[in-house]
Amino acid sequence: MDKLLKILSDIRPDVDFANAQKLIDDGILDSFDIISIVNELNEAYDIEIDVEDLEPDNFNTCAAMLELIQKLQEE
Amino acid sequence: MSFVTLPFFLFVAALTLVYFLVPGKYQWLVLLLGSYVFYWTHSRWLALVLAGTSLATYGIALWLQRINDRGKAYLKQHAAELSREEKKARKEKTKKAARGVLLLGIAVDLGALLFLKYFNFFAANINSLLVRFGGAGSVPMLSLLLPLGISFYTLQAIAYMVDVYRGKEQADKNPLKFMLFMSFFPQIVQGPIPRHDQLAHQLYAPHRFDYTRMCYGVQMMLWGLIKKLIIAERLTGPVNYLFTHSARQMGPINLFAAILYSFQIYTDFSGGMDIGRGVAQILGIELELNFRQPYFSGSIEEFWRRWHMTMGKWMKDYVFYPLSLSKAFTSLGRTSRKLLGQFIGKRLPAFIAMFIAYLAVGFWHGPNWKYVAYGIWNGLFIMSGILLDGVYAKCRDGLKINEQAVTWRVFRILRTFLIVSIGRFFSRSDSLADALTMGRNMFTRWTDITFLTNGTLLNIGLDTAEWVVLCIFLLVLFYVDFQHEKQVSFRAVIARQPLVFRWIIYIGAVLLLLIFGCYGPVYNAADFIYAGF
Repeated sequence: MDKLLKILSDIRPDVDFANAQKLIDDGILDSFDIISIVNELNEAYDIEIDVEDLEPDNFNTCAAMLELIQKLQEE
Repeated sequence: MSFVTLPFFLFVAALTLVYFLVPGKYQWLVLLLGSYVFYWTHSRWLALVLAGTSLATYGIALWLQRINDRGKAYLKQHAAELSREEKKARKEKTKKAARGVLLLGIAVDLGALLFLKYFNFFAANINSLLVRFGGAGSVPMLSLLLPLGISFYTLQAIAYMVDVYRGKEQADKNPLKFMLFMSFFPQIVQGPIPRHDQLAHQLYAPHRFDYTRMCYGVQMMLWGLIKKLIIAERLTGPVNYLFTHSARQMGPINLFAAILYSFQIYTDFSGGMDIGRGVAQILGIELELNFRQPYFSGSIEEFWRRWHMTMGKWMKDYVFYPLSLSKAFTSLGRTSRKLLGQFIGKRLPAFIAMFIAYLAVGFWHGPNWKYVAYGIWNGLFIMSGILLDGVYAKCRDGLKINEQAVTWRVFRILRTFLIVSIGRFFSRSDSLADALTMGRNMFTRWTDITFLTNGTLLNIGLDTAEWVVLCIFLLVLFYVDFQHEKQVSFRAVIARQPLVFRWIIYIGAVLLLLIFGCYGPVYNAADFIYAGF
């Protein structure tokens, strides 16, 4: 989780990723942030987040993103 | 049969009556029949184009569903014996097959739109290129009729096929139900561009009559009519005059024209949307929100999240994201990082994807270079906002600007409104050359604001009383949007009033429309600007 929080904070230092619950639904992250996050996660975790995975549920919280990463790593 | 004609209201009343009288399981058939009757009154035999597109999309989606289902079934059946790599290869194979079918579907739907809407544009440009290089320029121009709402329902159909391809949606099994999804009359003229998961199940489900919901729907329709008939139509005269005589107007009167058009297009488009959403609500169906007080936006990026929202979301989900995350763009990102450094290199692919999306938005509006320029204008401001964010932040720090202050917010809103309005030169002028002339003339004698007091305004289609009425209703519009911005629901406030008071409000709104509305032979109230896109 710490590694993920570090990546996310580097992209958007002004967001409290550890506690935010509706990063997408509340419009905290915009589409440019999403693309930056996806590119960083793909590189850092050697995964391939596809456009089909760009669901609000997968990016609303830090825990959801971690769950997505783990799912893609298992595939 | 336009949204603002008596036959339309009689049609809605009759359809509502039949809709709630028939058994629930047949209600969708009433909607289908009603939608095609409505469409027929507009486009006659072009209804066949809509039906053809619907059936082609229906078939393609079923095909996609079958490929996906077979792929999944195979993996399930052979789960134990396949290695991880083999499973991955199998998934890739399924995806490749589905991608081919999806591309076929997009080619069919988009092909119809490109041919009917853009053929003459391409033909004229090819001819002009051929002539320039010494050729004859002999690509023939065709007289093509455009089916109503084709720009909207094509995007709707593509979104549906992509969602089925992505496994997010199940393909509809009943072709007639799917034809209803594609033709639902309150949204066919000018959107909102619906998603299958949001609208289809509502259309197919039975609905019981609900008095409160009907009142809410009627209120929304009345507010839409006030915007359309009292503000938008009243502005038609001055806007047409100022844009037609743009060549000889110098100074800020050009900006004034663009600002008037900003109000006109907002009240015309959102007014039509409110009428459509109100009709749907009476029938128990919620259409997606398409406007969220766009002129209260603090940046161009925010504006496009509040204006024609379903279009912005469509571009994001089906153009921007797929392009940004495509293999080509990912490898471009890697290369650009090496060549241009982290800051620019990382952002470059997303910038290009976004630029393409805004070009597409511009081009979607119509076959004219002015719309391409309109897309570029908006795209450039958003990109520069992101690129120069650090510079702006330093400027704000240097000037000790309190970003939470109301004055700062007001400044940002006014700045955004001005940029949006100047961009309207492109979308409203007759040609790109006219738009550029207006933009240039705006800065010639730019301090000359005498047009406000020297009687010019009384010679462009409205007399003093008409301007007063317009200003009053623009203030009402501002007040309503401002209250919506503060999350105040007028409909809930009205619902809490005693019956007598509620009826006074309804009758008052109708009287306002009858007294101040612009209708009759002098006006062209039946037309909506966005219905022409």
